[in-house]
Parts: sequence; C-alpha cells; structure tokens
Amino acid sequence: MGRVAEDDERAFTELVRRFQGRVGNLISRVLNDRESVDDLAQEVFVRVFVHRRNYRRGSKFSTWVFTIAANLAKNEIRRRVRRRNWFSLDALTEVLSDSLPQLADPTESRERGMEREQLQGAVGRAIATVPEKYRLALVLRDIEGLAYEEIAEVLGLPGGTVRSRINRARGMLQRKLQPLLRKQDAP
Amino acid sequence: MNRCDQARRLFGAYWDDEVTQAEREWLESHLSGCPSCRQQYEQFARTLETVGSLPRTDVAADLPERALAAARRAAAVPDRIAVAPARPMWIQVTATVALLLVGLSGLLPWLETPAVQSVFARRETRVAEPRYVATATSGTAHRSDHARPVATLADSLFDHSEDVEFILDPVVLHRGRAQTPSRLPKGVQGEQAVISF
Repeated sequence: MGRVAEDDERAFTELVRRFQGRVGNLISRVLNDRESVDDLAQEVFVRVFVHRRNYRRGSKFSTWVFTIAANLAKNEIRRRVRRRNWFSLDALTEVLSDSLPQLADPTESRERGMEREQLQGAVGRAIATVPEKYRLALVLRDIEGLAYEEIAEVLGLPGGTVRSRINRARGMLQRKLQPLLRKQDAP
Repeated sequence: MNRCDQARRLFGAYWDDEVTQAEREWLESHLSGCPSCRQQYEQFARTLETVGSLPRTDVAADLPERALAAARRAAAVPDRIAVAPARPMWIQVTATVALLLVGLSGLLPWLETPAVQSVFARRETRVAEPRYVATATSGTAHRSDHARPVATLADSLFDHSEDVEFILDPVVLHRGRAQTPSRLPKGVQGEQAVISF
C-alpha cells in the first residue's frame, strides 16, 4: 500500500488482484446480488486509489478496504430500499433470489447437488432478509472470518455492540432456516 | 433464567471458542443431558456451517485493469468523490458574531486603563463655562457689579463665549416666467424657474 500511495500503478493492480475476491464476496453476500458485484468492487478500489494518501501506514489494509466496502454496500442497500416502491414484490423476490454461483462437486449425485444448491440459495436469501446493521456484522464474521476487534474497527462500533449484533443476526438466521434444516433432517 | 436459556446464551461464544474452561465444561455437560438444547445447538452449528461454506463469488478477471482505468479518471476529477458538503450560512454568521463579541469583551479591560481614558478625554468637546452677563438697568448707565446671571448652564453645544453674528440676505422670489434671456433658438419655447437667495 505504501507503493500505491506513491502513485505506483503496478502496485495498485497487484493490490486489487490480492483483495478482489474477499471484497467481491463481501458485497455479494451482503446484497445477495451477483450482478452488482463487479461494479461495486471496482468502486471500492477506485476509492482506495483516490484516497490512497489518507491511508495510515501501519494500520491493517484489509480493515481499511473492508471499511470502504461495507460503507458502499450499506449505501447500495439504502438506495435499493428507496427504489423498492418501483418494484413489485414478485420482482423483488426474483432479484433477491438471484442465482448464486454453483460450484458442483463432480462426484456428487444430481439429486444431492440440487439439494445443496437449494440450501445455499435459501441461506443466501435468508441472509439478505436480516436487517442491514446485523447483516454486515454477520457476513464479516461468519463468511469473511474477521476477528471481533477488526469488525469493530470496520464498522466503527464498540466490541460489545459487535458481539451483540452478531448474536442477534445468528439467532434470526437460525429461526429463518429452521424449517429447512428440519426438512433436511427428516428421512 | 433457567438452565436451558443460560445454555442457549452461550452458543455463540462456544462456537467462537470464547468461553472459559468452566463455561465450556458446564455447557457440554448440559448438552449431553438435554436433548432439546442439543438439537438447538446442532441447528445453530449447521446454520453457521452452511453460511461459512457458501461458495465464494468470483469477480471479473479484468477487474484490476478496469479499476485502474476508473481510478485514473477519478483522480483526474477529484471532485467526483471528495465533494465538500455545503455548509449553511448561519453557521458562518453566528461564528463571526461570536468571535466579534469575544474580541470586544477582551478589549473592555484595556479600554478602562488610564492611558486610553486620557486619549479619549483629550478628544472631548470642551464647552466653555457660561459667562455672567450684566443686564443694563433702564434709564441708568450705571453698571452694577452685582449683575444678575441670565444663564448659568450651557443650553446647547454652541460656544456661547463668543459672539456669533448671522447676516441674512433678503430673499427675492420672482414669480412667473424667467427674466433671464433664453439661450434657446428662436421659436423654441422652454420653461425655467429661477429662485434667487
């Protein structure tokens, strides 16, 4: 990042290459929308470049880039909520149930693969229905695997608030997925 | 709070491995003896396992190049992102007035110092003490030393110590057409009013 701050463009493209997967995945899981991922991920890195001189040397770059990505994702959620009036409920459900990238295991049976895809799709949709402030904390913790302290820094919240939000998000998600998990448990 | 509620409150910390040794032992012993809590924990764990195992989203392969091109464009037009928010005028006005008041209150002790007071004192308009004017008694040319004062205080800011003479010229007003010769070409009529003092 030090080289990027000194206008080294090659260092910038290397930085994008290194973090694009995590940034793209965060955006995709928070929005549950594959189509917007490339544009929003690009915007995250543009902001990194434009504000490269504001980056504090010695701080963790991943925390900084996640902060930018989380803020952009939040803005996008709010923009969509404002525009929701123009969509019918069916159209919105269709948007939310956007097909997830399916990485099928070739040894897996067709039926089992379909079950797994259904479960993943349902989990993705269930995450998208968790309120935004809980959702971001949940994705950062349970999908991106950030430590509580790092999430607190990314979201600008005290550690206790982060723990409580993650607990509430997990509880909500479990309640939403309970019928599906019960069905899967049944013989 | 019953034991099951206590156990369920620890699920998150247990999953994150953030419980104490005593909490861990207590929870594990409770789960082994409580089928309901065990089933709840299994569902909780499966939920988080599923969330954690969701496939990663791939981004476009050319994202680094696209991001660099967009970053160059954005850097060329810095206002695109770093836009200073418009500030309402009342903040500036209030701040200016407050600064002026603070500045003036700071000057007050200085204004009361003898040096400054003497400067202002020199600039004051000095009004002469009224003079006693002797009034002449009718029929006598005798001037009395015990003259009655006609004025004891200055009744205006004019200096009464010196005689002031006003001479007013008589004012003549001519009514009607101007008597001065007209400079207009012959045949062209104009009207003038002349007031002479």
